[in-house]
Parts: sequence; C-alpha cells; structure tokens
Amino acid sequence: MTVLLTLHQLSVALQQKPILSDVNLVLEAGDILGLVGPSGCGKTTLLNTIAGFVEQHKGSISIAPNMCIDAENIIAPEQRNIGMIFQDYALFPHLTVQKNIAFGLKDVNKLEQETRIETLLSLLKLTDLSERYPHQLSGGQQQRVAIARALAPQPKLLLLDEPFSNIDARLRNELMLELRSLLKQLNITAIFVTHNKDEVFSFADQIAVMHQGHVLQYGTPFDVFHQPCNWQVADFLQIGSWLPVIEVHEEYLTAIGSISLENKTIIKEDYSQQYLLLKPQHITLEPDAQANVLIEYVRITEHGFHYLVSSLTQDKSLSFNQLSFYSHLTFSQGEKIAIGIASHDYQLFNK
Amino acid sequence: MSWILALVLMAPVLVMLISGIDSSQELFTHLWQTVLPTYISNTLLLSLLVVTFSLLFGVPAAAIISQTNVIGKKYLRWLLMLPLAMPAYLVAYLYTDLLDYAGPVQRFLRTSFGWESPLDYWFFDVRTLFGASIMIALVLFPYVYMLVRTAFECQDQHLIRASRSLGFSLSQSFIRVSLPLARPAIAVSASLVLMETLADFATVQYFAVNTLTTAIYDTWLEYGDLSTANAIASILMLFILFAVVAEQRARAGQRHQSNRLNNQIEAKRLTLFQQIIAVSFCWFLVVAGFLLPLLLLIVMAIDYATFEQLNELITSGLNSLQVAFYTASIATIIAILLALFKRLHFSTWRHYPIQISGFGYAIPGTVLAMAMLATLGPIDHWLNDLAKLFELKSPGLILSGSIFAIIFALVVRFAAIANGTIISGVDQIPASLDLAPASLGVKLKQSLLKVHLPLLKSSILVAWLLVFVEAMKELPAVLLLRPFNFETLSTQIYQLISDERLEQGALGALLIVLFGLLPIVYLNKKESNV
Repeated sequence: MTVLLTLHQLSVALQQKPILSDVNLVLEAGDILGLVGPSGCGKTTLLNTIAGFVEQHKGSISIAPNMCIDAENIIAPEQRNIGMIFQDYALFPHLTVQKNIAFGLKDVNKLEQETRIETLLSLLKLTDLSERYPHQLSGGQQQRVAIARALAPQPKLLLLDEPFSNIDARLRNELMLELRSLLKQLNITAIFVTHNKDEVFSFADQIAVMHQGHVLQYGTPFDVFHQPCNWQVADFLQIGSWLPVIEVHEEYLTAIGSISLENKTIIKEDYSQQYLLLKPQHITLEPDAQANVLIEYVRITEHGFHYLVSSLTQDKSLSFNQLSFYSHLTFSQGEKIAIGIASHDYQLFNK
Repeated sequence: MSWILALVLMAPVLVMLISGIDSSQELFTHLWQTVLPTYISNTLLLSLLVVTFSLLFGVPAAAIISQTNVIGKKYLRWLLMLPLAMPAYLVAYLYTDLLDYAGPVQRFLRTSFGWESPLDYWFFDVRTLFGASIMIALVLFPYVYMLVRTAFECQDQHLIRASRSLGFSLSQSFIRVSLPLARPAIAVSASLVLMETLADFATVQYFAVNTLTTAIYDTWLEYGDLSTANAIASILMLFILFAVVAEQRARAGQRHQSNRLNNQIEAKRLTLFQQIIAVSFCWFLVVAGFLLPLLLLIVMAIDYATFEQLNELITSGLNSLQVAFYTASIATIIAILLALFKRLHFSTWRHYPIQISGFGYAIPGTVLAMAMLATLGPIDHWLNDLAKLFELKSPGLILSGSIFAIIFALVVRFAAIANGTIISGVDQIPASLDLAPASLGVKLKQSLLKVHLPLLKSSILVAWLLVFVEAMKELPAVLLLRPFNFETLSTQIYQLISDERLEQGALGALLIVLFGLLPIVYLNKKESNV
C-alpha cells in the first residue's frame, strides 16, 4: 500500500488559542479514516486545515506524490485537489443537480465532462433528478448530489464533515453502507468527521480519537475498541461502565465482588482513583448471592432488556450510580438483585 | 378595523385612477401628440441611468466592504450609508453651484490655464438628464449597498468553500457563486431605486428635465388642469406597477437564499494596488454623496446665515416638525394595529390589510397629491353644500386645504416603512408568547399591553424615527398640498433653490441632513451592538 497523506506535528492556533497540537497521522491510499471526539476537540479544524481553509502555524501536510504544505509554503485550497462534502452539503442553490456536478470540471474537455457527469448521475442514482434544483430534493438526494459533485474532479482525497448528521436515523445506516461501498469501488481515500461512535465503527478502516486538539489514539476500529489507550478514549467510545476499585493485598475490590490480579491490563496515569472498565457482556447474574445493586432504569432493546443499576454498598469509595448491562430476564425498576464480574482480560484505568 | 384602515389609506389612489381612466379620449390623444412621448422617454431614460449608476456604485461597494480587508472597513461600512440622509435636490444644487460656468471649479481652471470664454475649453454640463441621473444615484446607491452587502454577509460560506475545493479561487468563487446568489437582493434594491427615481421631483425640475412627475406638477399648478394631471399620474402609476411587480418577483427569488448563519467570511487580502483602488472608490462615494455637499452647506451657512433666516427657519422648522410628528405617530399606530391583526387574527385573509396599506410607498408624492386632491376636493365641496343646506357657516376647504391632506398623503406614502419595521419586530416575538398569557389567565388586551408592546419598543422607535425623517424630507406632496402661506423646511429650501438662493436656506438644509442622519446613526449603533 502507498501512503497518500502524512500529517507531521501539525499545529493550528486561532486567535492565539491552540486548536490543534502536534497532530501526527499517516493515511494509506484507499483507506477511510474516521475522526471522532467530543464537540470542540478540533476534528473539523483538522479537516479544514487539510482542505486549506485554515492555515497551520507549525508542522506539515504531505500529499502524495509530491505536495508538501507547511507554514512557509501554504497552498490555496483550489490547488490541493482535495474534495470536500460539507455537513449542510453546501449545494449551489442557483444551479441544477447537473450543473452542481459539472461545477468543478472547468479544466476538463466537454466530452469528458459529459461522460463523468453521466457516470456519476447513474452511479448515484440521480439521472432522473438531473434538472432539479437542490431545494427540490430530499436530504438523502442532496447528500448524493454533494458526493457526486465532490467526486467529479477525481480528487486525491475526499473530506467529509459530519456527512450523516442531517440524515434521518432510519436512512443513515443505509446511506453509510452505500457511501462506503462507493468509496471502496472507486478506491478513494477519505477522511470523515463524526461525533457518533456508531458511525465510525460502521464506516471507517482506521479511526483517530481526538481530545482537546490532540490525537489520543489512532488504529483500526477493532484495536481501538478492544484496547483503548486511556480512559478518555474508552469513555468517549462508551465501551463499558466505570466501576471504582480498591487495591487490597494484591486483590482488587469492587462493589459487586473482587477480581484476581491475573489477566489484567493497567493503564497508569497521574490520577488518584482506579476504575475497572466493565463491558455489559462481562456482567453475570448471581441469583443465589446477596443483592448488591438496585435497578434504576429499564429499557427494551433488540438485545433484550437494558438495565442501569446503582450499587447498594455503604462504602463511598466503591459505590457507583450507573452500571449498564443486558439480560433476557425481567426485573422491575426499584428491584434489588445480585450481579458479578465474569473472568476476562480486566482493563483498569486511573482517572 | 384593519380592513377599513387599509382601504381608507388606498382610497385616494383608487379615486385618482378612476378619474384618470375617466378622462376624455381627446385629452389623451392631445397629450400623446404633444408632450407625452418626451415625458415618457425622459422618465424611462432617467430611471435606466439612475438604476445603472446606483448598481455600479452600490454593488462594488458592498463587495469591497463584505468580501475584502479594505483599509478603514470599520468606518467605511457605515460612512457609505450616509448619502441616504442627503436629499438629491440639495446635492444637485450644490454640485451645479460648484461645477457650472460661474462656479469655483471652472473659475479655478480658467485662472490656471488662462482661458477666457466657454469657447476656449470643454467642460461637462451638470444640468442635463445625465447629470441628474448621477446626482440622484449618488444619494440612492446606499439602498443597493445596504441590501446587497447584507445579502453577501448572510450567504453560507460553505458554498464558497465548496467552490474553492472544486478548483476556483476566492475571486472566481465570488463571481460564480456569491454574485449570482445575491441576484434577488440586487433586483430588490434596483426596484427600490427605480421607485425612488420615479418619485423624484425637485432634482429633475431643477435640471429642467421634463419627466412624468414634473409634468403632473406643471399641469396642475401652472394650468390648473386636474384631469390631465390625473391622467399623467395614472400613466406614472403603470411604471410604478412594473417596479412593484419586479420587486415582488425578486423577493420571491430570495427563498433560494440560504439563511444559515455560517457567515464567517474569509476576507480577500487586497494587494497594495487593489487597496488603493478600493479605498479610493469607497471614499469617492462617501465624499461625493455626503461629505462634500455637507461641507459646501456648512460653508454656505457660515458665510450667509443671518438672524432673520433663523427666524424664518423656526417657523418653517416648526411646521416641518408638526407634519413629521403627526405623520410618524399616525403611521406607527396604524402599523402596530395592522401588524398585530396579521399576527393574532385567525382569518386566512389577515395578511392583506397590511400589504394593501404598504402599496403607498411605491406611489410618488406628486401622484399622491393628485389622489388627495381628487378625493378630498369633492368631499370638501360636499361638506360646504351640506353646510349651506343647513344654513351653517361654510367650513371652506377643511380637508384638501389644510395640513390634514399633507399628513394623510404622507401616511399613505410612508406606511410601508412603518409596517416593515413593526412586522419584523413582531416576527421576532416567539409564537408561544401569544398563547402563554392566556394560559396564565391574562386577557388579550392586557397581554398586548404587557407583553407585545414592551417587546416591540425598539421596533416602534425605529419605525417612528424612519417615518419622521422621511416626512421631514418629503417635498412634492407637501408642495402640491400645502395650504396658502404654509412653508416647511423642504418647501422653503426648494423655493430658495428655484430662485438660485440656497445660501439663504443653508441652515435649514443642514437641519434636514442632520435629522436624516438620526436613523442611520441609531440603526448603525443597534447593528454594532448585535
């Protein structure tokens, strides 16, 4: 595989306030990278910096084969050959679908223009809508026009800023799969921004979790999900619930039982309290044991009943308010039950 | 009640149109064979030139202020609005005074180059249709500037970014995306300029350019021929109707405009050469449209002001204040009633009264004056006949011969300004506030007094102020309708200009300009507080 994009110690400050700090990323051609993180973490700024709408003050952006952009050598957005799909699609309201798609084809001869437009119209199922104006289209159709328009000039890299946020939840999954297979079919390298963890797991080959202008973790969705590098990553991706633990004579005590010292991964950081990251599938029901949690909330899902429970312990250093698990057994709100922790590769975090 | 108000406001125009249509075929044939083609062609040519110049001044100014890092942007932004405070006839007079044969510019040139007569050199003549167009455009271009600048500033900047990511530079994106998207605003502003041009009377009269407005004035005041004046006014109304339709169509086009608030415009960095051009262009407009005429007025006032003038000024000034005060107050009250009716009534027809009452803005002062005379004259005669019948003292022309007619005409003419301002204020009140007081047991009347009116305070003040200033400046309607010996600041100044003696009215003219600045300063302050 060849590397298409390299970000090296990229830093951006807006009005003297640092927005991005020392961002390093390497993206291979044909890969889809998902940028995730809480609001205000710098995802969109990173996208805009790569596109050229925001200027970096330190570091470099290299785009294969030979474009290198740094603070001394800024290249205008129109010269980068990077396509972009905006959150609101930014379709030109005064142009028809066809003219929107043709907008970026000024340097292409007429015959080639027509061929590309026809191919994209057919690929994105827009042929019947080619003479319509953007306001005459549904949200999903508008998104397809935005994709076609961005792909028409055959960009090296496609940037997508929260492309699914305006789409109805029912349509979202369908469109996500459709877009992913299209990008793969055309072998297009893409970076997309989202704050929705479900989107990133369904759409991306690689994910980068951002927090306060830094990339905390970069890897495949599988690796990041199974081995989050710190509690912010695990917390943002909502991988599991946090259970306070106390270390007593090489044993870890929790409000729902103790765990052995074997099979554990400890992520040590400079924080006082230790927590066990507990995924729902690692919680077991203990019908014969003494009740240790109270059912606070019950919800029906496709995985059975979803319960949120709080601890019954009097020990404040071990108590918790929200622990999440699924079960096919029916409990009612306010009921006291006993649960335990199944043996697994424990992940302990200091936070 | 709302319907009655709207119909009362529009009744004079209907009467005038009916009487215009009613006038004899012979009269029209005569007009057509004599003066009408010239009047119409002059009116059309003047409109075309003024709209063209206003667009040439206003659109680039709007683009420079909204899209570039021009030096002094913060100040130029509001300085470019100031020419609105300057009546066109004043600018026309002052430039003629400055640039004609006996004026200081030509005197200076003759002295410098040793020329002795007009045969020795060529100098452009200001007192032509072309000159009148430039003078009017110099004070009307701010309409274009303000509306188009707002349109540029409200555009979704993602559209520009999309264009740039598709290979177009900032300047190319402006031409390919921003400008076409601002087309509805450009069309609306052009039709406003067109309406104002068709309403202009004093500038063209001063420059002896015969248009339909001057024809109405001459026909009525010099020949006393009301039916011919009505006929010409009806023809002018056809032109106005065209402008109104154009404006409505342009507004309909605005629905394609994006209302998203992603408007952090990336200002184009101008090169030194571009900065010089942009700064010179903007300052030329500010100086030519406002500062230079203001300076000339101040010099005149310092040189020629006397105590007697001040005395005369007080009388005409008080008359102006009286007319403007009543007009502003009545128009604002009507606007509040109509806007609240539109908001709170359930009828599907509730939009119409306020729309009908706003048509007056498109009607030139001269036409309105004709409409008032055509309507109020017969009522006065009827009242006098009635008094005679009951052997009472004849009341005289209590409606058509008093300031009632002036105020009525001005309320009709400026109702749209008050309506627009109050409506936008009402639209900002959340719909839930109409229902919340009722849910707390408060009756509609109390809720209007305790909730809606306090929330509308600022809009009411702006509406009142805008109408007040427009009424202060209005000339043709007052000129045609004023009672004997009744002078306002604008009629007094017009009279002095006609007699080539503006220097004696410079103080009054300054006062009109200063009043004109009030809403601009207030609105600018409000905008900078947002």
